[in-house]
Amino acid sequence: MGREVSESCVESLLTEIVSSYCNGFYADKPELAARRIEAIGFQVGHQLSERYTMDRPRFTDHLEAIKFICKDFWSEVFKKQIDNLKTNHRGTFVLQDNRFRWLSRMSVDPSIETLGSIQDPSAMAENKAAQAIGMHLYFPCGIIRGALSNLGIPCAVSADISNLPACSFVIRIKA
Amino acid sequence: MIVCVAVVGHQNNPLYIQSFTEADDALKLHHIVHCSLDVVDERVNNPKKSSPTLNETFLGLLYPTENYKVYGYLTNTKVKLILVTTDLDVRDADVRNFFRKFHAAYVDAVSNPFHVPGKKITSRTFSERVSTVVKSFGLSSGS
Repeated sequence: MGREVSESCVESLLTEIVSSYCNGFYADKPELAARRIEAIGFQVGHQLSERYTMDRPRFTDHLEAIKFICKDFWSEVFKKQIDNLKTNHRGTFVLQDNRFRWLSRMSVDPSIETLGSIQDPSAMAENKAAQAIGMHLYFPCGIIRGALSNLGIPCAVSADISNLPACSFVIRIKA
Repeated sequence: MIVCVAVVGHQNNPLYIQSFTEADDALKLHHIVHCSLDVVDERVNNPKKSSPTLNETFLGLLYPTENYKVYGYLTNTKVKLILVTTDLDVRDADVRNFFRKFHAAYVDAVSNPFHVPGKKITSRTFSERVSTVVKSFGLSSGS
């Protein structure tokens, strides 16, 4: 029973979630909006991990669970694997996706760019764009955190977009 | 015949427990399920080193009592599925098959967006599906 989800629908839904939380419900509280979007992702990740780990033996350590996220989980969700996994062997993992699907077709709203005409237009616009993209990454961060916490690994996940369209997710496992 | 099935959460909180007997022995069956949780913990914490089934989700026969056999299954997300049966000669393959279907039903039930993680499963669809699986278990082992 291979039910599929329309990719464009998911992308539109994500865009709508972000815009309604950031410009509608919590227009003046971006941190709260981010937390709510992350919480939605958490629930999605929680449920997906239950489903995708059904037919596999239990994980023995953290690395095995992280590898599962990089390979099988990422393939199920994004149809590709994570391109690069780095770790400091002390509970921090960096998962790099060279072409993150949910950012690959994203362009910056021109109205945001015109807002930055006050002092240093280009820097300001860049900052705004990074903020807007960052908002879209709370959802996948929540998915990763939800999946890992359901596998018994409490952690904090953040995203890094210093070189787009590559995107890195930093996982810090709580001791 | 399967007399009782249960889903137990990762903090040993009961998520779903259902007995399938006419007699009024639900309490006794719940007690048997409760006792089996310690056996599950023991299996997981002290695995037999040489066992080829290391970390397999299916834990096999947890313990036999006079009238019942108790089987266990531990998912990756530390959710325990317990089966109590009165059949004395049960084929392992049947039990595995049962647990696979039971697990699939559980996954579908918790994927419901209205289900609150960690709370009891109240879905009627889930109960019906479990009953069907339980009934089909009796048939396949009889043949």
